[in-house]
Amino acid sequence: MDLGEKIKKYYKEAELYTSHGLLAEALEKYKSVEGLVKSTSNIRNRQGILKQLSIKIEETNHKILKLDGPKTTPEVAEDAQSLMKEMFSFDDPEARGSSALGGAIALAKFGQYDKAIEEFNRLLEYENLRLEAAKNILWCWIEQNYTDYAVSLYQKWRKTKLFPQKEAESLQKYFNELMDKTGMDHEIDGLESQRTVEPDSELDDDEILDISSVRFILPRGPKEGERTELEISFQSGKYIRMIISRREKDLVDSINPGDLLKDIVFYSPVAIFSGEGYVSSKNEIDAGPKKGDYSLEIKIIKIVS
Amino acid sequence: MAVINLKNRQIECKLVYYGPGRSGKTTNLEYIHKAFKKQVTGKMISIDTEGDRTLFFDFLPLGLGKIKGCDVKVQLYTVPGQVKYKATRQLVLKGVDGIIFVADSLAVRREKNMISLKDLHENLLKMGLSIRKIPLVLQYNKRDLESKGLPVMPVQKMEQELNRQLKVPSFTASALSGDGVGHTLNQALKLTLQSLQNEFKWAQ
Repeated sequence: MDLGEKIKKYYKEAELYTSHGLLAEALEKYKSVEGLVKSTSNIRNRQGILKQLSIKIEETNHKILKLDGPKTTPEVAEDAQSLMKEMFSFDDPEARGSSALGGAIALAKFGQYDKAIEEFNRLLEYENLRLEAAKNILWCWIEQNYTDYAVSLYQKWRKTKLFPQKEAESLQKYFNELMDKTGMDHEIDGLESQRTVEPDSELDDDEILDISSVRFILPRGPKEGERTELEISFQSGKYIRMIISRREKDLVDSINPGDLLKDIVFYSPVAIFSGEGYVSSKNEIDAGPKKGDYSLEIKIIKIVS
Repeated sequence: MAVINLKNRQIECKLVYYGPGRSGKTTNLEYIHKAFKKQVTGKMISIDTEGDRTLFFDFLPLGLGKIKGCDVKVQLYTVPGQVKYKATRQLVLKGVDGIIFVADSLAVRREKNMISLKDLHENLLKMGLSIRKIPLVLQYNKRDLESKGLPVMPVQKMEQELNRQLKVPSFTASALSGDGVGHTLNQALKLTLQSLQNEFKWAQ
């Protein structure tokens, strides 16, 4: 086979591999062709061909990098989540006969953390499922790298004595093991020794612009899942405070201290950006013109974009 | 694990298409969905893809009608082939009754086939199952690519590398055109139902 034929053959192979999604194989072939073209000066339009090949190699490299990146587990549509729950909750020893728990575990294993946490939170209401639901909630948060939030949640449960002694011990053992696996330095055994109950913020106070209002999805209660927009009445660095009118009882009941808001849109006079926040307090105002209204404080943990 | 209701004479079993990424597992299911309309009892669900790569699984329910007095339903699944989705493959394999291993005939994918077969072996072991005992069929896919000038491994070589010890039924196929897809599925169903018969004596 002469050189020209060889180049044509290899190039055709590379194109076919690309069309079949075999990118590493395509890349190798494009490089072989490039090597052959470079090795001889006796080719018409040599520079043009080399330029074309270089573009192909760059494009293929780019696609490979994108595919070889970290594992992605996107949130899927509701009907797909239902299928995951229905088809993969069977025979799960962790489910202990509860298809609801088994379904939520299946969702968590498929990386559908938000939906799974929503379901586990609902199951916390049932005494016989509470411990397993709590363990899975902690697991979900840690899997998403929200270790600080998992710690604060665990502390909150301990403080509110949500679990009887034996279950509390089981949860503590489980959580300690989970935290050990993260390899992070932590102190979760005694409440007194906590460095903080709130999750840490990634931000310095001076990194945050003045915010005029926020929009987020309500995490619980009668307005769960609805979007609300609130004006900022006071801001101190990463802490923002809002007033909720006493007349908006449903709104007041739909957000509580300890809630993690994963999708907040912040509006500032100069920019709109999104991030995450932690509800650090909610108090009824007991004096002044706003008496009876509620003051809600959110700590900004992360700016995403 | 199959659901067998002897009182109502119903069987529901699960077949999983396994194999390396881009070997044609989803294409197998797409062809079945298109060509076996009478047997397809619901829509094919492809749960999220990255480009055209499976991230979770594909699902296709089939109804085979009455076999030996039993109403037989089959759930077909594919696994994501990319190495990094091992945990998802383990999850999809849960409760499997039969497996179709889709190997890529392209010479450049030789090693990927072997790695994926080893991965299947390991995942089954974790579930307390043996690759030598579970109903298994091999499919040597993409045979058509030879005519397009791509180097394809001879069937004999693939048999030697993938099936020498397993000695399970194997089929050549071109899933895009549908060649061999039906034969592969038929044989896998036959082996699976036989295996369930040995275990549960469901047939009249």
